[in-house]
Amino acid sequence: MKKNLLKPLTVIFLCFVAFACVKDTDFDQAEEIALTPVVELDLIYFNIEAGEFYDEVNNIPIPTLTDTTEIRFLDDTEIQESLRRADFFFKFTNSIPRNFQVDFQFLSEQNDTTYATQTSVAEGSVQTPVITEFEEIIEGDDILQVTMANRIVVSVTIPDANPDLEGTLNLQSKTTYYLEIRDRE
Amino acid sequence: MRNVLTLTLALGLSVCFAQNKQLLYGFDEVPQSLMLNPGTKVPQKKHFGIPFLSQLHINGGSSGVSVFDIFGESNVDINTRIRNKIFELKNSDFFTATEQLEIINFGWRANNEIYFSGGIYQELDFISYFPRDLAILAWEGNRDYLDYPFNLGEISATADLLTVYHFGANKQLTKKLTAGLRVKLYSSMLSARSVDNQGTFVTTLGGPDSPNIYEHTVTNANVTLNTSGIASLDGMDSSEIPGEIIGRAFFGGNFGLGVDLGATYDINNRLSASASLIDVGMIFHGKDAETYEATGTYTLDGIELIFPPLSAGQPTLPYYDNLEDELEEEIPIDTITSGYTQFRPLKVNAALKYSFGKTVGKGAECDCRNMGGGIDRAQAVGAQFYSIFRPKGPQMAGTLFYYRRLWDFLAAKATYTVDSYSYSNVGLGMVTDLGKFNFYIAADNLLHYGNLAKAKSVSLQLGFNIKIDEE
Repeated sequence: MKKNLLKPLTVIFLCFVAFACVKDTDFDQAEEIALTPVVELDLIYFNIEAGEFYDEVNNIPIPTLTDTTEIRFLDDTEIQESLRRADFFFKFTNSIPRNFQVDFQFLSEQNDTTYATQTSVAEGSVQTPVITEFEEIIEGDDILQVTMANRIVVSVTIPDANPDLEGTLNLQSKTTYYLEIRDRE
Repeated sequence: MRNVLTLTLALGLSVCFAQNKQLLYGFDEVPQSLMLNPGTKVPQKKHFGIPFLSQLHINGGSSGVSVFDIFGESNVDINTRIRNKIFELKNSDFFTATEQLEIINFGWRANNEIYFSGGIYQELDFISYFPRDLAILAWEGNRDYLDYPFNLGEISATADLLTVYHFGANKQLTKKLTAGLRVKLYSSMLSARSVDNQGTFVTTLGGPDSPNIYEHTVTNANVTLNTSGIASLDGMDSSEIPGEIIGRAFFGGNFGLGVDLGATYDINNRLSASASLIDVGMIFHGKDAETYEATGTYTLDGIELIFPPLSAGQPTLPYYDNLEDELEEEIPIDTITSGYTQFRPLKVNAALKYSFGKTVGKGAECDCRNMGGGIDRAQAVGAQFYSIFRPKGPQMAGTLFYYRRLWDFLAAKATYTVDSYSYSNVGLGMVTDLGKFNFYIAADNLLHYGNLAKAKSVSLQLGFNIKIDEE
């Protein structure tokens, strides 16, 4: 009698095993999982006084001011794989009575220019500063160019300058990064 | 996945998505019920668990989401379903995994009527609360959440891998009272925990005094990660790591001490109450312990260009390095190598049992040797309470049960449990004594057995023992 019980118990156990299953699921969907965060991040800012465009020692104007900063994360492998679109937004507030040409140059580790853009800034006055906004939307193949860079060179060019020039050129900027992060084999 | 799961069950591993072992508690025909209450009534004279097979218990689960919620076949895009779940889950929802493997378990009744028991088991215990804000930040980014302070304090997780050596004693002290005590020596192999964190991250539009368009601010961050047994693995060849960890199972790691306490009291010959405290103890992490701590407040405005007059060939200013240095200075990540003490997750069990039906086994109603004591009867109903202390407070479960001794060699217990996972958990356990051979099987969440993917918690436990009854 006792020995016979092993059979029903085995049957019960096998029933547990047989009925326990995972149904109506599709784990291949895991490949479609993608995080798509949209990240807002400050970029660069500056304040240039009008006097910086004039070399008072040598009494000559300095037509172009240039500075460079690393944006080290831009050419990270993760960013190269995940970045789909980047909106660069620049807001200039100009109280110098001159218009400016501003160039943005993206440089790679090897000093190659991978992407470049430029804008002109309207002239203002000390009493009524003028705001110029500039947006550069980068997507598609251009994204590959931008993510090969890890530095931005900013050049500000003034048409003419003299020691009496007054005012400030201010820049505030941010970038909106549209990412698509998925598991890549 | 389906094959793996079926195979897992077929191999006799128990897949159980609840730490609570409500089916085994008070199920005295199973020797392992002594592990849940050292003061339970022990009917047998001796028991010896079949090594590595006496109890194997794996569980993992989540309080707010099932596999089906994410991977179910549906016309809705999987990313939409994940997004909806992220917003539906609360920061008190959790993911947990526990695995226990009994290596040895034995017990015997000595001449002084004390039932001694001992053994070794290995345990993996993991819990992580759902860091909702960080999940939203990772999934959505910050564009649509300007001015929303993301809470860094939602990070709360612990993970432990340890071996437990235990020895206990159980005795019927009076006709009504049985009590027991077990001493445990913990040998921690790996441990990591990050709890009691705080801080916020917020992106706001810069005001008139702000130098740039946004201000990205981390406020009062205090995020700590304790680790032990992990720092020394860094740099070790990956093939050496399993051997090193297994070595620690045998007195190589960090030690801890704990006790289990329990008692059963027969209020009258039908009504009986019992309670136990399991893992009242702590582990002292002194060896190979490292704590990482990030604290501070910092506002990021971007990079300010100052257009320094440079002569040809002169390098530009290291703006980016300066920014990183500034961040490291304001929110430094300190590494502390002093030890720390960690409490074990205390478990509380309690039960009230009412027995009825015909009497079985020893202790008939006219048993003069058992005046006033509880009598084993063929049926019982009752209620159980279970609680485990977790980083964000106790998690509790309530169970109603029906017990029935079908024959001398077969007893069954059915349970209905309400816990953090669900309100519809029905379980069934059976134990049989075939001669000296004891076999038990306990399955939880039977209503979901047709499709485990829809269950947030499922369990199947089984084990084999050699049991020698009182003559």
